[in-house]
Amino acid sequence: MGPLPRTLELFYDVLSPYSWLCFEVLCRYQKIWNIKLQLQPTLIAGIMKDSGSLSAMRFLTAVNMETPEMLEKVSRELWMRVWSRDEDISEPQSILAAAEKAGLSAEQAQGLLGMISTAEVKKKLMEVTEVACKYGAFGLPVTVAHVDDQTHMLFGSDRMELLAYLLGEKWMGPVPPALNARL
Amino acid sequence: MGPLPRTLELFYDVLSPYSWLCFEVLCRYQKIWNIKLQLQPTLIAGIMKDSGNKPPALLPRKGQYLKSELSLLKHHFQVPIKFPKDFFSVIIDKGSLSAMRFLTAVNMETPEMLEKVSRELWMRVWSRDEDISEPQSILAAAEKAGLSAEQAQGLLGMISTAEVKKKLMEVTEVACKYGAFGLPVTVAHVDDQTHMLFGSDRMELLAYLLGEKWMGPVPPALNARL
Repeated sequence: MGPLPRTLELFYDVLSPYSWLCFEVLCRYQKIWNIKLQLQPTLIAGIMKDSGSLSAMRFLTAVNMETPEMLEKVSRELWMRVWSRDEDISEPQSILAAAEKAGLSAEQAQGLLGMISTAEVKKKLMEVTEVACKYGAFGLPVTVAHVDDQTHMLFGSDRMELLAYLLGEKWMGPVPPALNARL
Repeated sequence: MGPLPRTLELFYDVLSPYSWLCFEVLCRYQKIWNIKLQLQPTLIAGIMKDSGNKPPALLPRKGQYLKSELSLLKHHFQVPIKFPKDFFSVIIDKGSLSAMRFLTAVNMETPEMLEKVSRELWMRVWSRDEDISEPQSILAAAEKAGLSAEQAQGLLGMISTAEVKKKLMEVTEVACKYGAFGLPVTVAHVDDQTHMLFGSDRMELLAYLLGEKWMGPVPPALNARL
């Protein structure tokens, strides 16, 4: 058995296009590097004065609590709406559409949507946002790498090559060849 | 004869550590890529004023972050950056007006020395926490770079002339016209297009735009073209 995978926490908000860039690079590299990627839906409005993604990020928080294996796909579909097709992500129908496009059934999606107004989900999103702030975040995306006994907080989608350096891994650009994927 | 080298303009100020990182990377790659690097001494204070932007370190959490990230980047980029003890005094109080006017004069009179003198000014302020605002400080950097005492004094004498002041202002305006809100700014002229890139972290994107190979911030020297 090889060395333990290093945990990377990615704090992101779908309102942030640079979060999307960072997310896609790390999703590609999670199959190549010896890392465990922990997606952390965060509220950028809680870090700086901003608006617009409260429902979407609460929804992702709910997904992370109930069906975490769907978090990557649902996150991506929300980005595709707001940052690729210039579609709304604040209305319930918009969020349901993204969830279903990601592969959730209508029932599952509705169930998760129902959760976004609960104290539990609101609290969880707030807590994750506070964690990002404690790490020193002033914006998103923030990648927190736990390497050996050290914790490194990196801001931005343009610190991935530095991340590779800290992990002792090979940087192959933002679109690495898939053939290098570990099994 | 191969294709013509693409011109890259680097707008920089020695007050900016990220300008130093960008500068060193481009100096390394100018021997490897088919480019012509044009160093453009610029006044970051002028860019801030014109754009309404503020130095990022003025936001406490950003200042904290910059400090920690630079201590990582220095190893990755192999540039001996050390945060000055009294950062705000260096950046906000003392500034870089004389130093950048001096570099403007160097660029006008002995441009082949611009790279070395720029580097010695960065080594003072951003590696050894030494002054760059006093005349003696600037002369010391110039002489360390290889200028004679006479040459250095001559250039120092020029920094109060209308010609040098005007030139620095003009270069700063050019950067602003390209859309600068901070430094470093790299302007790449590729085919018929002009690309303005902000920051030391856009070098891989620059390689992509140039159709060149990115080999990290410390490329192997063996690949240098003759």
